[in-house]
Amino acid sequence: MGQTQTQTEAANQPGQKKFLSGAQAIMQSLVEQGVDTIFGYPGGAIMPTYDALYDYQDRLKHILVRHEQGAGHAAQGYARMLNKAGVCMVTSGPGATNLITPIADAMLDSTPLVCIVGQVKGNLLGTDAFQECDLIGISMPVTKWNYQVVDANEIPEIMAKAFYIAETGRPGPVLIDITRTAQTDLMTVPFEYKPCKSIISYKPRVEPKAEHVEAAAKLINGAKRPYILAGHGIIIAGAEKELNDFVDKTGIPVATTLLGMSSMDADHPLYVGWPGMHGNYGANVLTNSCDVLIAIGMRFDDRITGDLATYAKQAKVVHIEIDPSEVDKNVKADAPVVGDAKAALKALLPLVNKADHSVWRAEFKKYDDEEYEKITLKDLFHEGDKIKMGEAVNLLSEKTKGEAVVVTDVGQHQMITNRYYRFKKRNSIVTSGGAGTMGFALPAAFGAKVAVPEREVVAVIGDGGFQMTLQELGTIAQSGLPVKIIILNNNFLGMVRQWQQLFFDNRYSFVELQNPDFITIAKGFGIAGHTVSDRAELSDSLDTLLSSDKPYLLEIVCEKEENVFPMVPAGGCVTSVRLE
Amino acid sequence: MLTNYTISVFTTNTVGLLNRITIIFTRRRVNIESLTVSETERRGVSRFTIVIKNENREFVEKLVRQIRKVTDVLAVFGYLDDEIVFNEIGLFKIATPLGGTPVDVKTINLDWNAKIVHFGLDYVVVEKNGSEEEIQEFYAYLKKWEILEYVKSGRVAVGKTEKGLVEFLPEEGNWEIV
Repeated sequence: MGQTQTQTEAANQPGQKKFLSGAQAIMQSLVEQGVDTIFGYPGGAIMPTYDALYDYQDRLKHILVRHEQGAGHAAQGYARMLNKAGVCMVTSGPGATNLITPIADAMLDSTPLVCIVGQVKGNLLGTDAFQECDLIGISMPVTKWNYQVVDANEIPEIMAKAFYIAETGRPGPVLIDITRTAQTDLMTVPFEYKPCKSIISYKPRVEPKAEHVEAAAKLINGAKRPYILAGHGIIIAGAEKELNDFVDKTGIPVATTLLGMSSMDADHPLYVGWPGMHGNYGANVLTNSCDVLIAIGMRFDDRITGDLATYAKQAKVVHIEIDPSEVDKNVKADAPVVGDAKAALKALLPLVNKADHSVWRAEFKKYDDEEYEKITLKDLFHEGDKIKMGEAVNLLSEKTKGEAVVVTDVGQHQMITNRYYRFKKRNSIVTSGGAGTMGFALPAAFGAKVAVPEREVVAVIGDGGFQMTLQELGTIAQSGLPVKIIILNNNFLGMVRQWQQLFFDNRYSFVELQNPDFITIAKGFGIAGHTVSDRAELSDSLDTLLSSDKPYLLEIVCEKEENVFPMVPAGGCVTSVRLE
Repeated sequence: MLTNYTISVFTTNTVGLLNRITIIFTRRRVNIESLTVSETERRGVSRFTIVIKNENREFVEKLVRQIRKVTDVLAVFGYLDDEIVFNEIGLFKIATPLGGTPVDVKTINLDWNAKIVHFGLDYVVVEKNGSEEEIQEFYAYLKKWEILEYVKSGRVAVGKTEKGLVEFLPEEGNWEIV
């Protein structure tokens, strides 16, 4: 509190303006909120705030991206690493609409963002003024909350509210649209920043109800073949330790969702992989053999459940979830527990019995063996000339000891990376899950590196997705941060090609790419790199990438028409897994 | 079978909230039969009364939870018709030209429980309160005259529970009565 007052007083020093301008109030609010980094791009309607930022450069690090979408995804990568809101700042109109894709992505993947968006002057609102766009209207379906500020005096309260809403409960993106007038006007009251602690119409439940926890424990204790699905909620809640304690005590096999990956050590004896469209064989099939399904911090996305009519019908479902609207949305819960994953697991732990489910666990092993035989062996140790994506990722996993932060784009390489990277460290996967946004990885990896510069951050990207946001190489080069970039290049939009092959009778409709020379492009941005296409050089190439103390791009030329298996066809039953 | 559901949404008085709530219906392709917004007896609390028809109770329950999730929403209730007292208002502008059949004020008042709320030079405006069906029946009766204009409000409804609204609002609020 003392520090807060000092800062406020400093901002109101005699000799300066008595009251802050709206733009200064935005900066001061960010400082007092504890924000250290802004990803942004200036433009007309946000210029007063950029002018205020000029005086705040010692307290707020601003990173100039090359496209507003890059700012959004970078803020997402940053937010996912630190579990606190990523901040982006852009101008009105096209600057703001360019931010919509990351906002929608953050909404689906529960990522806290505070997006500060310039707007035309108050008197021009609704007049189709230059670079005017109804961002409140456009962003409404994809934000957790949004608000248009037209009065400078509102700024501290609204900023505090924005961070509170973005970061609490099920996190999500918040957009604050601030008219140019509200930025330039002086406040008429002294600036005072009070962090938001509660909002009357917004009460996320953290502590679960005791009777719900008891009902869940009863189901779990009676189970003969229980099965845990751990989701992103574990990582958001920071409940990895609680999950491990719970698993160790109950002996229940556990799978993680795509976004929940790295919440369990991949080598934990009870870890059985991941369920879903390209998840593991046993993790999918045995969903329909368990008697109690314990879902924690996940939302039964269609990529996990496939056909809901045949999904886990035999099982009683325990659903631990902070967002009440997710309970019973896709899968009916017999024992719903609304609350934070960490609080819920803490409450559950003393109520569950120590148990041994090794016989049940061994059933997964049978499927694992078949999967290894039919898929993994072929991916990792095949004889062909071309490098397969799986072997590249597997080698990356070995060389980084499973401890890197891995950021993926969307498509085949994403599934392969999650399949073959053996995560050993918590909160190590950043990927676009719900939205499946191509172009996500490069800026998100950069944002992650900004957040955790001490960790190795490796972006694994397809050749298609890389070209969607490759301008952010400029941002990376300017920062000098050693982001490691791997392009798994098969000259195809691989996942679409795979579907066309399997489900559209080999009719390859606009999926082959004539790619640029990626290394020349990187060099143009001042980033070193090289291409590897010979298996014999793959290991050395990865060493070069990983040992670089600067950003580095490694292009790995992969087999062109490789398919990702296992695969549960879209809308299919989780037991109908294709292995080839 | 299509069933009427009346969804009462209590919110803080915030610009743009109507949009945020209707988006939830639009996304799921639910047609809103009627929507009424009004102030309540508590200062700063608005009340949306939304009527939809749906075959699936679970679907409506999911909808209600999605509405509850909106940051500025204080409380939401989904009701079946027998759980609420509800009404609508119909206004009819009826031509009464010189020499035409005059409207039967007595029948309108006593038999139809409606009233004439405005006498124009050659028209009258009749107001009828009641259920949608009652207003429809009244419409049929009025058809013997020329109906110049007809407008009907959306449904307004209060729950049959003995509790007052304030008991469902977050405890720490200062829900001052207006």
